[in-house]
Amino acid sequence: MMHNWLLYIDPGSGSYLVQVLIAAVLGVGFFFRNLRTYVKSIFSRSEKTPTDNHPSA
Amino acid sequence: MSNSSIRHPSSYRDPSGFIFEKDGVLYRQVNTIFREDYELFIHSGCYEKLVSKGLLIPHETIHENWTGSDEWYLTLKPEQLAFISYPYEWSFDMLKDAALLTLQLVKEATAAGLILKDATPYNIQWHQGKLLFIDTLSFEKYNEEEPWIAYRQFCECFLSPLLLMHYSKISLQRLSLAYPEGIPLAVTKSFLPRRSKFSLHTYLHIHLHEGVAGKKRVEEKRKIKFSKQKLLNLVNSLETLILRLKSPEQTTTWSDYYEEASQRNDYLEQKKKIIEGWLDKAVDIRTGADLGANDGVFSRLLSARGIPTVAADLDPLCINNLYREIRKTGEKYIQPLIIDLSDPSPAIGVNNEERNSFISRLHVDMILALALIHHLAIGKNIPLALIAKLFAGMTRHLIIEFVPKDDPKVQEMLQQKKDIYTDYRQERFEEEMSKYFLIEEKQGVPGTGRVLFNMRRIV
Repeated sequence: MMHNWLLYIDPGSGSYLVQVLIAAVLGVGFFFRNLRTYVKSIFSRSEKTPTDNHPSA
Repeated sequence: MSNSSIRHPSSYRDPSGFIFEKDGVLYRQVNTIFREDYELFIHSGCYEKLVSKGLLIPHETIHENWTGSDEWYLTLKPEQLAFISYPYEWSFDMLKDAALLTLQLVKEATAAGLILKDATPYNIQWHQGKLLFIDTLSFEKYNEEEPWIAYRQFCECFLSPLLLMHYSKISLQRLSLAYPEGIPLAVTKSFLPRRSKFSLHTYLHIHLHEGVAGKKRVEEKRKIKFSKQKLLNLVNSLETLILRLKSPEQTTTWSDYYEEASQRNDYLEQKKKIIEGWLDKAVDIRTGADLGANDGVFSRLLSARGIPTVAADLDPLCINNLYREIRKTGEKYIQPLIIDLSDPSPAIGVNNEERNSFISRLHVDMILALALIHHLAIGKNIPLALIAKLFAGMTRHLIIEFVPKDDPKVQEMLQQKKDIYTDYRQERFEEEMSKYFLIEEKQGVPGTGRVLFNMRRIV
């Protein structure tokens, strides 16, 4: 719990709420970015697969 | 508070502790109310990590109550700073780096279970060649469910001036002087062009932020839930945005000065040689300033001797270029600052004591004022008597260049204005300077009508 005496700077009414909104928007953005990275990684992995499967000596 | 220690007038906001001065040294008191957070800051290893990364000023701990205060818990003796400067004296890239430093501190702190509870550029100072964080009491226990308390402060103090300069392509340091607590979001929003809304991060942190924060609403008791991941997303978004911002790059009057000046024979080399000779003989020079520093060529004559030197110029682009150069070379002894000597930073804040004026902060052993006097006397109409007084208030030793009226640069200035400067002559200059200084040596710069003076203050 935030100590009240420490609130010596005014966080601003609404500046807390807006962080929740922004985090939500950014969350969606990051979700799609991660998804893109994930999908890309699947394809690049499948391309590499043949070389990975060389029989070991 | 005991008689021997004086609480610093700017240190009143935060109940966690305060700065005080004792025998000319600045200390920071930690109050008992902040004990738990401070202990966590130390024992989590956060302090150690920040200091080893060069992000935070190191301190020694002193177990003595020198203020006599009932709230005393500890006394810290931070490494002492050579010169205090303020964000309205910093160039674009200095403010940008200060903003990135602040965000880095948030990330480092949260990794250690702490949070940065304020985000003001006044907690950042120049120390040994770079900007670093000086407020050791800004780190408190992190509650992941809480949004970042200093978010609005960050947006108003850092993001607002940077965005306004980025979009307008104008250096707007002076706006931070008008709004020392940060440029209000509504002001920033009204000055930003409409196209700034199409930048996602600018839209979120300024336009949306202002829209939501600016609305009056009935006090909501609804519990806002936040998380560390959300905080990191927020901080990364701010970082992405700030990294993209560019300084106003247009060429200003002075940014080409030396390139052009160097074409005039070996003027700069001659000047350097004379000054070097005088500096070799000067004793007891521990601090210096180069006023009208341009790209810092002459500041380096002082800094190369290990003398902490303020390199001040009114041209924001020159100072920004100098800063970038210092960032590259890692030079430790030059501090670049944007200062207009005809209107140096005033004292501001509570009782006008919170942030001191530039003149009252700048007490140095040696000032270089080269190719500057005609800009003050003719460019700004400042009488020679006032110019002499200005320098006498700041330094004991002065190396100053007199640029005569028939100099091509002065003639260029006079083309655009009426010559009302009958007093602007070398004899009158010497007469006025002699009221405060003893002229120890003078020497003409070969190939020009310019004369260098080496002076020592007598009053």
